Amino acid sequence: MSFLQLQHVSRRFDNGSQGLANVSVSIEQGSMVFLTGHSGAGKSTLLKMLIGAEQPTSGRVLVDGSDVSRLGSKQMPWFRRQVGVVLQDHNLLEDRSVFDNVALPLRITHLRAKDIERRVRGALSTVDLSNKGHLFPRHLSTGEQQRVGIARAVVNRPRIILADEPTGNLDPYLSRQVIALFHQFRDLGSTVLVASHDIDLIKDQGCRILHLSQGELVQDTANLEQAAD
Amino acid sequence: MAKRTKPRGDNGSERWRPRGGYLRGWLADHVRVASDTTLFISQRMLSSLLVWLMVGVALTLPGLLWIAHSNLQTFSQQWQGNAGLTVYMKLNASDAAVADMGERLRQRANITRVEATTPEQALQQMLAQSGDSEFLRQAVVAVETNPLPASFAVVLDTGTSFLALEALRRQLLPESGVDDVVIETTWLERLRDLSDFASRVGAGLSIMLLLAAVMVAFASVRIAIESRLGELRVLALIGATPAQMRRPFLYFGSAYGIGGGFVAIVLIAVFLNQIEAPLLSLAVSYQVGVQIAGFTSPFLLVMLLLGWLLGVLGALLALSQRTPSA
Ligand SMILES: Nc1ncnc2c1ncn2[C@@H]1O[C@H](COP(=O)(O)OP(=O)(O)OP(=O)(O)O)[C@@H](O)[C@H]1O
Ligand SMILES: [Mg+2]
Repeated sequence: MSFLQLQHVSRRFDNGSQGLANVSVSIEQGSMVFLTGHSGAGKSTLLKMLIGAEQPTSGRVLVDGSDVSRLGSKQMPWFRRQVGVVLQDHNLLEDRSVFDNVALPLRITHLRAKDIERRVRGALSTVDLSNKGHLFPRHLSTGEQQRVGIARAVVNRPRIILADEPTGNLDPYLSRQVIALFHQFRDLGSTVLVASHDIDLIKDQGCRILHLSQGELVQDTANLEQAAD
Repeated sequence: MAKRTKPRGDNGSERWRPRGGYLRGWLADHVRVASDTTLFISQRMLSSLLVWLMVGVALTLPGLLWIAHSNLQTFSQQWQGNAGLTVYMKLNASDAAVADMGERLRQRANITRVEATTPEQALQQMLAQSGDSEFLRQAVVAVETNPLPASFAVVLDTGTSFLALEALRRQLLPESGVDDVVIETTWLERLRDLSDFASRVGAGLSIMLLLAAVMVAFASVRIAIESRLGELRVLALIGATPAQMRRPFLYFGSAYGIGGGFVAIVLIAVFLNQIEAPLLSLAVSYQVGVQIAGFTSPFLLVMLLLGWLLGVLGALLALSQRTPSA
């Protein structure tokens, strides 16, 4: 059964621009999928719909069988706690240290301070920021800030990881490291969807690639494989 | 680093639910927000102080008026001033009868002092009080006889009650040569009228000032919300509940309100301390014993509670205007 599912999803914005146009796609649980396309193709719009931050004008967005746009204000928070999001503008809190930024998703779930400490240290070390926990975001390079955002997304061991251009400001070495981290979570059972226009990085990952153009799904490597078979 | 996240096979949206531990989670979240609030306020000490001062000043007058009101009430209820009455003799009373009356008054118990006023003295006083009016002088000359009676101003011992005063009046009225006995309570009655009027005006003023305190809390919490919109957006995305997002602002409102109540208590204490000496000397001149009551621990508690209530009210108003959400 497909875990993440878009059924004829369209999104037209008030100013007339088309975010998504009749996109249908199914993603299996525990798989890792890349989403690519030119700027403005609708990658961010698609990811935002999966977290309920953007509503479809028509069609349905299902996560594990539930319609995301119909989750009430009671269920939405508990749903989002099982999703790790890396935003395109990493959205770190400027007045909190790196450590506190990463700890945020754990603080609202009331883990014990000791467990929070341990998990945040672990998440920071996976993005090579072990020694920067005490710094503030403004003291970090753009790539380092991006990695803090990634640490924040995975610190809660989410069932679903949605990452929007997570490697946008990283050098090739760090980019591969981040992708490897996502592979690791995929291996542990998480479903991972990564938006990226870095074709060189994603083409040899052995993962399914969805290609968006002007809001439409124009290519799906899963279909290519089926056609080749 | 990550442990296995178990996929769960159940269907429907029922699964997006908290997994037990409501109370522990609720408590833990209050601890989180309390420390967060302490940090937020200490990082903005100057503006926080300003808010406390504004709320405190707005709370001070209602607090003072309440103290004044309750003091005036107890004061006029258990009136312990030096009561007095004036005995007016009949115009035709003989000099002997007047002297006899004075003697009997002086021999009575409970009486501190008796001041006799002859008709001539009364006339002099009246003329002096009327500013030596020429009209009055001529009127007196025209009548040829003094229209004023002899009288005795009687001051009773401290602690004499109204009832005792009234009893004395009834005893004196039938005595020979006595025309009328008047209990001298005008200043007390005036004070009562004044305090009635003052409490009405004070109540109106107090309501306005309490509203002002709510508005100060409202504006401050609103600014706090505006300054944290980015944070609220992130919190919503990582799954903070609406209650979790509102909670810090309710705490800010509470902190502003309770801090304001504390400032008001300090201001009231300083003020009472300042007026105590002049009030005491004033009281002595009226020959009444005065002690300011009401600055008690229940009063302090009420001030803090009132501040807290108004602060929370302001925060709720601000939150209803701009609900934090995704
Ligand atoms: N809030 C919005 N209001 C109006 N139009 C929007 C809004 N968000 C996105 N769009 C439009 O929807 C289209 C898709 O935007 P989206 O952000 O999904 O693109 P993207 O693939 O993420 O691009 P990029 O690679 O630059 O991040 C664009 O044409 C954009 O102008
Ligand atoms: Mg985008």
